[in-house]
Amino acid sequence: MIKVEHVTKRFASAVAVDDISFEVLRGEIVGFLGPNGAGKTTLMRLLATYLAPTQGRVFIDGLDVFLHSLEARRQIGYLPENAPLYPEMRVDEYLSFRAKLKGIPRRKRRERMEDVKVLCGLKNVERRIIGQLSKGYGRRLALADSLIHSPELLILDEPMIGLDPNQIRAVRELIGALGRRVTVVLATHSLVEAEAICQRVFIMNHGRIVASDSPEQLTGRLQGNVSVVAEIAGPPDEVAERLRCVSGVLTVQLVGPAARDLGRGSALWRRYRLGCHPGTDIRPAVFGIAAAQGWPLRELSLEVFELEDVFIKLTASVGRG
Amino acid sequence: MAPPKAGKPVANIVTLLKRQLRAYFHTPMAYVIMVAFLVVAGLSFCRPLVQHLGEQIGIGELLFGAPYFWVTVLASIALITMPLFAEERRTGTLEMLLTAPVTDLQVVLGKYAGALIFFLLVTTPTAAYFILLKAVASGMAALDWMPVFTGYLSLWLIGSCFIAIGMFVSALTRSQVVAAVGCFVAVSILFFMDTVRLVLPGAAVQAALTYLSSTQHVQDFAQGIVDTRPIVFYLSLAVFFMFATVKAIEARQWK
Repeated sequence: MIKVEHVTKRFASAVAVDDISFEVLRGEIVGFLGPNGAGKTTLMRLLATYLAPTQGRVFIDGLDVFLHSLEARRQIGYLPENAPLYPEMRVDEYLSFRAKLKGIPRRKRRERMEDVKVLCGLKNVERRIIGQLSKGYGRRLALADSLIHSPELLILDEPMIGLDPNQIRAVRELIGALGRRVTVVLATHSLVEAEAICQRVFIMNHGRIVASDSPEQLTGRLQGNVSVVAEIAGPPDEVAERLRCVSGVLTVQLVGPAARDLGRGSALWRRYRLGCHPGTDIRPAVFGIAAAQGWPLRELSLEVFELEDVFIKLTASVGRG
Repeated sequence: MAPPKAGKPVANIVTLLKRQLRAYFHTPMAYVIMVAFLVVAGLSFCRPLVQHLGEQIGIGELLFGAPYFWVTVLASIALITMPLFAEERRTGTLEMLLTAPVTDLQVVLGKYAGALIFFLLVTTPTAAYFILLKAVASGMAALDWMPVFTGYLSLWLIGSCFIAIGMFVSALTRSQVVAAVGCFVAVSILFFMDTVRLVLPGAAVQAALTYLSSTQHVQDFAQGIVDTRPIVFYLSLAVFFMFATVKAIEARQWK
């Protein structure tokens, strides 16, 4: 459905997309994951024909989008990043305007408008002025617009931002249901979202694809980076030695004294970071050792990485490998 | 369902035109411009009437002879054209518009037509002044309508040209204020070219600038003289700036 060949997009000050190639098959749900500024939005705009690549070519359904822009656009439903809308129009008015622009014949227009309004939960606001709607409704209206001409390919840039948890679940289910018929490409910076919806995930950083995998594989890789932090009062060398013997522990790192209570209480408090095998929970074993040795233990927690950290680690490892 | 067939170009332009017109009337701006224009035009119409009471003046002088009437026309054009692309660029709706299956040319033509029609709606009600004058001054049976018609012809010509210029300026920025000011300065220089002439040396340059100056054209038209050269001048300039607008919109792809 989509074929991207060595696409580069250079702006005056920076390279937003740097020599990217990939293919997406018909019916796939594919996610692009990356921190802010990774080039996701630029890539979505390239796919949606809003921008032209500096180098390389983009094919949609076999059509070069630069040479056959209009034909390609007719197959694309595009939801831009901030779901821009005309605030002075009414919901129905807007959908009708977009349906006309997209060349839906008059006799089918009503029917398609009804369909997407029901699908996106807009029935109760159809007469409202867009500027007075909440952000969530605005986003759903933009989504309805992207679906109105029954596109073969759906390009969604951050579709979940501004939605409440119920709406997120509804949109997720909607995309899942659509995914059986149409191809979906979405950009997101949320790992959870990508994991929940996508069959395949591309991780982008600095305009490049640094990893592409199924969510399961990806999760495995991310778990490799999970570590446990323990704060234990005991002779540091001995504690480290004991912890190293726990099965599943790969590395033990002394993070340093627990600085905030130096000078009061025991001077033996230390923080240890334990790198561990994915899939094993070493916390009960750590507690067991501390209890057996009589070392006070006051913190034992899984360290949750911020997405940014995960990306930094992933790009670093890809760079070395 | 298979993807829908190509929309006809004219149908697309009409759809875009209607949206643009509606956008004007959905905001208070349309009514403010219309009222303000009628007030100033009314003053431009009355002032020579009162000044030259009892004297003989050309009827075309009444509205089209007053410089502040034309300044108001230029200001209205700046206000009418400022949102065309700047606003859509600022809010991001341009992205929605330009990823729909319509060509950039259709978008430009639709917006241009919408702005032009709105300009006609703003300016044409002033015709009531002439009709009113005719009704009141029934003694002047031999009211010559020709200068009135040619006066309006010059108004529409200048309008259609300057709207294209304003649209082009609006396509270059995301700030409506910048678009309005830029347009006003550009069309003012063009309109009062014969004043620019005074500060430039060279007889040939001065003659050329006089030839291009709208104030000269307007005076001719207000006397009922129709010259085809300014007609061609304004229309070709309008086409040129429409083309330039299309290029300015396309440039997004390459920046």
